[in-house]
Amino acid sequence: MKTQTDNNYKSPLKNTEVTRQWYHTAVAAAVIGGVFSLIALELMVFNYFQRTVAEPKREEKLEALKIQLRQEPNDQQLISRIQELDSQSVLDPNLAKELDVLKTKIRDNPDDQHLLSRLRSLYVQIRQDEIRQLDFQIRKVRLRRWDFSSRGSFLLLGSVVVLLVGVKSAASYKKKLPAPQPQPDRRDEQVHKAIRARWAITVAIVVLGSTALLLINRAWLDFGAADMQVTSYPSPDEISKNWPSFRGPGGLGISAYTNVGASWKGTTGQGIIWKSKVPLPGHNSPIVWDDRVFVTGADPNMREVYCFDALSGRLLWKRGVMNVPQGTAEPLEVMEDTGYAASTAVTDGRWVCAIFATGDVGCFNFDGKKVWAGNVGTPDSAYGYASSLAMYRNLLLIQYDQGGAEDEKSKLIALDTFTGRTVWETKRPVPNSWSSPIVVEAAGQPQIITCGDPWVIAYNPTNGTEIWRAKCLGGEIASTPIYAGELIFVIEPYTAMVAIRPDGKGDVTKTHIAWSIDDGTPDISCPVSNGELIFLLTTEGLLTCYKTDDGAKLWEHDFEKNFLASPSLVGDRLYLLSDKGVMHIADFGTEYKELTTCELGEDCYASPAFMDGRIYIRGKENLYCIGSRD
Amino acid sequence: MIRLVYIIIGTAFLLLSSGTASGFERFPPPDFESGYQQPTPANPAPRRNIYEYVDTAVLLAGLSLSSYLVLRTRSRRAILALCVFSLFYFGFWRKGCVCPIGAIQNIALSIFDRDYAVPITVMLFFLLPLVFTLFFGRTFCAAVCPLGAIQDLVVLRPISVPEWLEGGLRMFAYVYLAAAVLFAATGSAFVICRYDPFISFFHLSGNFHLLILGACFLLVGVFVGRPYCRFVCPYGVILRQLSRISKWKVAITPEECIKCRLCEDSCPFGAIRAPTADWPAHDYNKSKKRLAFLIILLPVLVFSSGWIGYALRPVTSRVHATVRLADRVYLEETGQAEETTDASSAFRGTGKDIQELYAEALDIQAGFGLGGWLAGGFVGLVLAGKLIAVSLRRRRTDYQADRAGCLACGRCFEYCPQEHAKRKLAKDN
Repeated sequence: MKTQTDNNYKSPLKNTEVTRQWYHTAVAAAVIGGVFSLIALELMVFNYFQRTVAEPKREEKLEALKIQLRQEPNDQQLISRIQELDSQSVLDPNLAKELDVLKTKIRDNPDDQHLLSRLRSLYVQIRQDEIRQLDFQIRKVRLRRWDFSSRGSFLLLGSVVVLLVGVKSAASYKKKLPAPQPQPDRRDEQVHKAIRARWAITVAIVVLGSTALLLINRAWLDFGAADMQVTSYPSPDEISKNWPSFRGPGGLGISAYTNVGASWKGTTGQGIIWKSKVPLPGHNSPIVWDDRVFVTGADPNMREVYCFDALSGRLLWKRGVMNVPQGTAEPLEVMEDTGYAASTAVTDGRWVCAIFATGDVGCFNFDGKKVWAGNVGTPDSAYGYASSLAMYRNLLLIQYDQGGAEDEKSKLIALDTFTGRTVWETKRPVPNSWSSPIVVEAAGQPQIITCGDPWVIAYNPTNGTEIWRAKCLGGEIASTPIYAGELIFVIEPYTAMVAIRPDGKGDVTKTHIAWSIDDGTPDISCPVSNGELIFLLTTEGLLTCYKTDDGAKLWEHDFEKNFLASPSLVGDRLYLLSDKGVMHIADFGTEYKELTTCELGEDCYASPAFMDGRIYIRGKENLYCIGSRD
Repeated sequence: MIRLVYIIIGTAFLLLSSGTASGFERFPPPDFESGYQQPTPANPAPRRNIYEYVDTAVLLAGLSLSSYLVLRTRSRRAILALCVFSLFYFGFWRKGCVCPIGAIQNIALSIFDRDYAVPITVMLFFLLPLVFTLFFGRTFCAAVCPLGAIQDLVVLRPISVPEWLEGGLRMFAYVYLAAAVLFAATGSAFVICRYDPFISFFHLSGNFHLLILGACFLLVGVFVGRPYCRFVCPYGVILRQLSRISKWKVAITPEECIKCRLCEDSCPFGAIRAPTADWPAHDYNKSKKRLAFLIILLPVLVFSSGWIGYALRPVTSRVHATVRLADRVYLEETGQAEETTDASSAFRGTGKDIQELYAEALDIQAGFGLGGWLAGGFVGLVLAGKLIAVSLRRRRTDYQADRAGCLACGRCFEYCPQEHAKRKLAKDN
């Protein structure tokens, strides 16, 4: 008769033997799983670091190559770069062969334009091939690494499962039986446990509380307490104290200061605080903010923004606006009289933005650091692009009139000054023009006033929607409008000056034109007004004064010399700068009464900037600061 | 011999698998000179609704089976098998989403945002484990939760965490719950999902830092059983409270406890409570005074925590993208930051008024102020409640599974001689 023990238990010896075998198998599985897990993990970590460390370097190289390709080298740079190229590294054997031939030829004939042209084309082809190849390699490696990582994950998961099963199985064969130890006195233990538990919670309270208090005491922005009216753009008061754009605040050409110089002579240096050479030419006018004076200059190859110290005239920095994103390397032909830098820059005291005849736009901070740069498209302009920039809050406004009206290429663009992104863009039904936009506060709202043939259009600066338009212009519009005496004044070259009330909506041609005159209107320069009188100065030197309220002509004066700069008002004096650099300072009233003339001794095409006790005049080659050294 | 065969087969299998890990391109990269046409981007079709109901049905079946295994069969092996199934189904197959833990946030958002509707399946995922816990204890944690399962499988050398330390560390879970509800309710972020340490494992890919965090949890989990469940899981906080009042509960012994102490160290999660001894009589008056003091302290702690939550609003509200954006734009506008970020750059591209953005941020921050009072007050209540709880003199006569902390894993069953006797009896019969 079998006992109960016999029924339930097998031979201890056999049982132990089988158990031992399974135990060892489990250990072996765990070891294999563990080793494979480690290998897989190591490979994946290696793969990860390759992906995060090695690949970016290759991408940097690709970016550098792309930038180098975009930068158009001059002939000398081209020859030097070609000489550096190793034909062995050129992928296309035909190009490699040609490279070897041209290398020899150019050494003998470095000025051969035909050869240089072919070299340029060959250089571009080789670089493009190089970029394609590198790009291909980067993609290939990246995909391979992704794939590797994906497969590795499965492998790691599998091996970890094997490891766990092995370890758990092995542990189950070597399970220790519970062996409770003699107990200490429970009463004391539970009292101590309770004390420790209370302390643990107290520590948790202290840790949480102190962390929270530390966080609270850090300088976080509380939208309820901070002054949220602070903006990046200057207040009207700050703008009025500076000369931030073409013809100063509001484009009015009126100085906020009356203590500016009235006597100087460029040839002797009398009344000249400083004179600094501007590296590249440009017809644009100086703009000034506090102690910084900005002008731009350009030639067919270079486009630069210059920052001068207003106190010393020292060139603080110059920055190029070349090879910008979306820019083109194609050379652009413009009329010599216009040049490549006719547009005046604009500043808001934080950024300074400039545009050039190529459509390249650059924005810099006051330390010369580039904030952004871009291209708004190569302009189709008969004489070359010349409209100056304007700003409204954080928007940079570009009147981009080009081509014919039927081409529908003209537009008004608003770029964000922080990023250069287009915030809004509005099509304009006008052909190319050279007039600049002004931003005025009229009829209780901000308005951008623009002139083109045939429309004067006012836009809402926040979104670019049209407020009103008046059909009253024709021809090649170059003069910039002004706002004075509650009226907008616009000029049709040699034909008319029209006064428009800016409180209309839609087409106001028949309803809001206050008056117009047809005598003494300029072709290029802009009018200036003190609100009661308005002054027009033609290129040929005819100065005419009208009343703003009804357009009645009061007087005229013929200088019999040419003027390109627009007239300015300093207190109750007119400042008129001729193209030969002679400033005529005059009283006005019932008639023209010249007080004095000051010669700069250099041709001048730009309008002057007026600041506290100083006048900044850009000559053909130099920038002048006029005033008293005291 | 058998062992050798297993080793050879295992090695061969792993070698074959590793061969594939070398990898190669699945498709060639675009060749720019062959007129390669970029395919039109297309969004993948959404997952069919039917699968959501399948998931819910699987959850329901899993909860039922888990409850049955824990309370009736009392089989650790079966619970483990279900645990493995849940890990692969809800974890690796369904990629850990939807899960009841994250569903807290959907529910919180739906309560505070009238425009947000919770799908019925998400609602069920949130409610079903709660209902089951109310009746059967934490059987969801036992074998259905994929986050619990992955940690349960790596418990190899568990060490005992002192009860007092465990109590202190657990406070983090309450703070996490309060923060998660606050951020979800204000529409700021689903932080539970964002910082799920195991989601990268389930996806077999993910953020490097989260992978490291998950690996750390698993490594700690080798020695400290289920650290995420015990000290972090916000859903566990709710389950703990419901489990306290569950109709049926996990019992270490199927019969009367004979106080053999064999189960004493069997729980890797420190959820077995030993019988208490008599409390010292001389300490009684002191304990009464302490308790009175702590009860008085309760409203103070609730109020002060609430105030801290409110005062933290400039910090907490930064989790909201709009507030972060407004903050960044403010820095840019005031010249404290020159570079724009992608977000501020995109905002500026919209041409939207900055004052409107500030007003929106202010509104959100005000919401965080109110939410901060509530969340902070809740944390204060928990802390004060816990202080009171550990000061109460409890009496226990048997070894018992802690009703709140027991994860119903069934490990303790086989340590009980009564269990063995019952099984043997059942087998004999």
